[in-house]
Amino acid sequence: MSGTLSLELRELVRHYTSDAEVVRAVDGVSLTVAPGELVALYGPSGSGKTTLLLLAAGLLAPDRGSVWFGESEITSLSAFESARFRRREVGFVFQSFHLMAGATALDNAALKLLGDGWTLRDARRVTRPWLERVGLLERADHTPDRLSMGERQRVAIARALAGEPRLLLTDEPTGSLDSKRGREILTLLRDLCRERGIPGLLVTHDPQARAFADRVHTLRDGHLSEGLDAELAMSIA
Amino acid sequence: MSRPAFSFTILGLRPTLLFRFYGWRLRRHTAQELLAGGGIAVGVALVFGVLVANGSLVGSAGKLLHGLVGSARLQLVARSSAGFDAQLERTVSGLPGVGVAAGLLREDAILVGPRGRKSIQLIGMDPNILKLGVLSSQESNPEASLLARGLVLPAGVASTIGVRRGDALTVLAAGRAHPAPVSAVISGGPAGAATYGTVALAVLPLAQELTGESERVTEVLVRPLPGADRLVAAELERLAGGRLDVEPADNELRLLNTASKPTDQSTTLFAAIGAMVGFLLAVNAMLLTVPERRRFIADLRMQGFDSRQTRLILGFQALLLGIGASLAGIVLGEVLARTLFHQVPVYIAVAFPVSAKQIVHVETVLVALGVGVLATIIAALPPLLDLRAKRPTDAVFQEARGDFGHDRPMVLWLGIAGLGVIAAVTVLALAAPQLTVLGGMALALAAVALIPAIFVGVVGVLERACQGIGGSMLVIAVNELRSTATRSIALAGVAALAVYGSVAIGGARLDLIRGLDNAFAQYLGTADIWVTSGGNNLTTNAFRADGVAAALLRAPGVASVRTYQGAFLDVGEHRMWIIARSPEDTSMIPASQLLHGDLGRASALLRGGGWAAVSEGFATEHGLRVGSLFTLPTPSGPVRFGVAAITTNLGWPSGSIILSSSDYSRAWQTTDPSALEVDLRPGVRPAQGRREVLRALGGDTLGVQTLAERERQYDRNARDGLQNLGAIATLLLIAAALSVASALGAAIWQRRARLASLRIQGFDHRQLWRALLLESLILLSIGGIDGVVLGVYGHALASRWLQLTTGFPAPFSLAGAEILRTFLLVAVMALAVIAIPGLRAARVPASVGLQE
Repeated sequence: MSGTLSLELRELVRHYTSDAEVVRAVDGVSLTVAPGELVALYGPSGSGKTTLLLLAAGLLAPDRGSVWFGESEITSLSAFESARFRRREVGFVFQSFHLMAGATALDNAALKLLGDGWTLRDARRVTRPWLERVGLLERADHTPDRLSMGERQRVAIARALAGEPRLLLTDEPTGSLDSKRGREILTLLRDLCRERGIPGLLVTHDPQARAFADRVHTLRDGHLSEGLDAELAMSIA
Repeated sequence: MSRPAFSFTILGLRPTLLFRFYGWRLRRHTAQELLAGGGIAVGVALVFGVLVANGSLVGSAGKLLHGLVGSARLQLVARSSAGFDAQLERTVSGLPGVGVAAGLLREDAILVGPRGRKSIQLIGMDPNILKLGVLSSQESNPEASLLARGLVLPAGVASTIGVRRGDALTVLAAGRAHPAPVSAVISGGPAGAATYGTVALAVLPLAQELTGESERVTEVLVRPLPGADRLVAAELERLAGGRLDVEPADNELRLLNTASKPTDQSTTLFAAIGAMVGFLLAVNAMLLTVPERRRFIADLRMQGFDSRQTRLILGFQALLLGIGASLAGIVLGEVLARTLFHQVPVYIAVAFPVSAKQIVHVETVLVALGVGVLATIIAALPPLLDLRAKRPTDAVFQEARGDFGHDRPMVLWLGIAGLGVIAAVTVLALAAPQLTVLGGMALALAAVALIPAIFVGVVGVLERACQGIGGSMLVIAVNELRSTATRSIALAGVAALAVYGSVAIGGARLDLIRGLDNAFAQYLGTADIWVTSGGNNLTTNAFRADGVAAALLRAPGVASVRTYQGAFLDVGEHRMWIIARSPEDTSMIPASQLLHGDLGRASALLRGGGWAAVSEGFATEHGLRVGSLFTLPTPSGPVRFGVAAITTNLGWPSGSIILSSSDYSRAWQTTDPSALEVDLRPGVRPAQGRREVLRALGGDTLGVQTLAERERQYDRNARDGLQNLGAIATLLLIAAALSVASALGAAIWQRRARLASLRIQGFDHRQLWRALLLESLILLSIGGIDGVVLGVYGHALASRWLQLTTGFPAPFSLAGAEILRTFLLVAVMALAVIAIPGLRAARVPASVGLQE
């Protein structure tokens, strides 16, 4: 199933209170990611990048503003609808992988499909090619404790892609990979967005990601700006 | 992507997937699941074992009794073992409305065979008994056996004394010895009711001959014609004339229920506390897994599993764990019921012909299973708080934001809640002592609730102490405690529960034993030598003693001989222990058992006659105070007594009545003693006196015991009666110590990555090991102190409840040495067990810290 829907963040605001101090994690961010477009989002640690991804995925409710995916307002979905949106529409790669300890790489990659009533056999069949695309087929039967950090990250990527999502949200997908493997994954993500016409939002520190993204933005102190700001440009150069 | 075609799912999940999720969990977290399951299983085992043991006593006695009375619905019963004229049976048979009447003679006796002796109840049966359907299903053709003049023995009894069908044995009854043949040994088969009892059956004439009660019976069983029960009961009452009792045929069950109730209640109290501790141990074990299960929830939610699916997956896992743990607990409980809890307490067996057959009802299994599953599901709930509607990201990020141990408001509220529970328990215990059982369980909750506050306080103090103490051990230990606060609090909670349960239960048990020992020591301390009918009894079996006292007085070492009389008397629903003491006895009432009244005045009143000391339960039930009058239904008819004093139940659960032997002789119309109290001349040692008494008796038909021997027998019986409590206390202590050790061990093992990162920082394994042991010791001390303080309070409440509700003598006394022993046992066992995994964990390669 190909997607032709765009992701639109409208005036999003999300503040935290920590020890009586207000942290403006996301402060009036608006951003549109068009179908087939991969947008890279850079920012220093604590700038609100992950919060923005969680807002986009419907995992976090904004204080103000809204998130739209095509004609659907994600921020107005019920908890049940929001869960179904993530399960069926979103491919989400997390910085800390969130793999299930006792399940094999293949079963971890198939996990989302199981939540939709698939049999494990069918889910494995559909997932296996994605595991192959991230170069992990020979490790399909290994549990996470027997995989390296990079391999775990690739399992998480295969899991995000296996459900053929219509929106791709990735948080440091190359953070644990070497440069060569990182390029391969970035290529895969870019190609996937283009081939399938789906929007992708890529939160990253990886300097080489710029080359794969259609657009680059910087998030600093909750505010979004186009391109890399000077400070970041120097730090990742 | 094409979605799957229709398939059977629950909330969108295929059922097999639920099992698959649990399989994944088990693969990675086997130890944690075993730990949690173990706690549940211990609780279920205690509950199930006690329920089965308690139910089996009355249940099997019911089967035995129904086997003996058949279709009889009423009975005319004598108020003493002397019985009444057997001619009365024919009179009863002739009453209007009577279908069948059959006489029975029951007499306590001792069977002596080549392999030993056994106290039994000899039951002589009129042949009419067969018309009541009694024993008709015996596989060994009882009619023929009964008709053959001999004894029918249960297989257990026959085996104990080493006889078989056709063998001869000796029957000791009423102070006489008679040979008798064994005509049948019954074993197996549905009848089996009798198989397990401590009875011996005979035809009535043989039983009369063996007991010297010719032409007498102790009861007549009656089956009225249909619809004639009231008429027959009225006719029987008229015939009884106030000297006999008219009761339902299975009245003995009511009496047994009353007699076993206090012990059942005590056991249930202990089991309830034990089960609560077991349940909380499981909750704490589950608490150890909270961080990991919250991560699991986060994983599911981020992958798009909705909250209902998440609840289903976690609920199903809890259900499987609960069912598995509960089934294991039921199996363990069955083993406990068969081994530790299965014996009929001797003190019950001396008054009722009960069996030890174990009966497991389906309801008992279902209750145990339900309790275990419910406990597991409740224990699994905390991580589901992450699914609250307005907290969608807690599961994802709260863990990173803070640890439960650092949530000061939560710690404060829990501490306040713990203190509130203690206050509520105090009010409850004062206002409604019978509900103290709930208080004992609530204190276990309070023990856990107070731990976070104590933990935060102690860690704060230690942090300050670190600044003035050299070396790294304490610094590492305190830092580790702080950074794994939730886990540390759970571990301290496990230790607190372990100590709480052991101190509360162990202390109450010790109070009971001390109380009973005191009661029996003072009850028996009136004579140097006791001559009885032998066997194991509460000195209630009368025997012919013509010329015996005179013969004893002629023995060189004997200074004096006094008659002691005693019996059981059924009053309402109570089989009361009647103690009739000679006015010449040095003590009429055991001083330590006096609850109300003046000892000197009460003793004088008893000696003068017309007065009695009654146990508190009896006094309460009949609204009696010191000075009140009450009527006893004696064999000679109703007799009025004044209440001289109110005592404990002297260790007999149904209650006791002390009066003078002169009153007893008049009311019971007998001078037969149930014991002779012998005082020795000064300088005569008890063993020597015993030999002289035996020589004077000229045979072994009577039992002769020194004071010390008889005290030991009573103490043994008391401990035997409390063996279930002892078994629960011991099991709980072992389970608790192992739970602490395994929880600590598992927690240390899970922290290898953290330890590895410390090794990267340059700490060697010896430093880490010592730090781990110190950390464990700190946790054990936090839990131990909390457990001891509340355990002592629980002990006091339990002892008070035992005294007030069961009537047992159980005055509270602080068992300092026992408490210290309990604490040290838990601490040493736990430290010894964790020392090895601790050392292995401390030796973790530094590279592990880089991998995680």
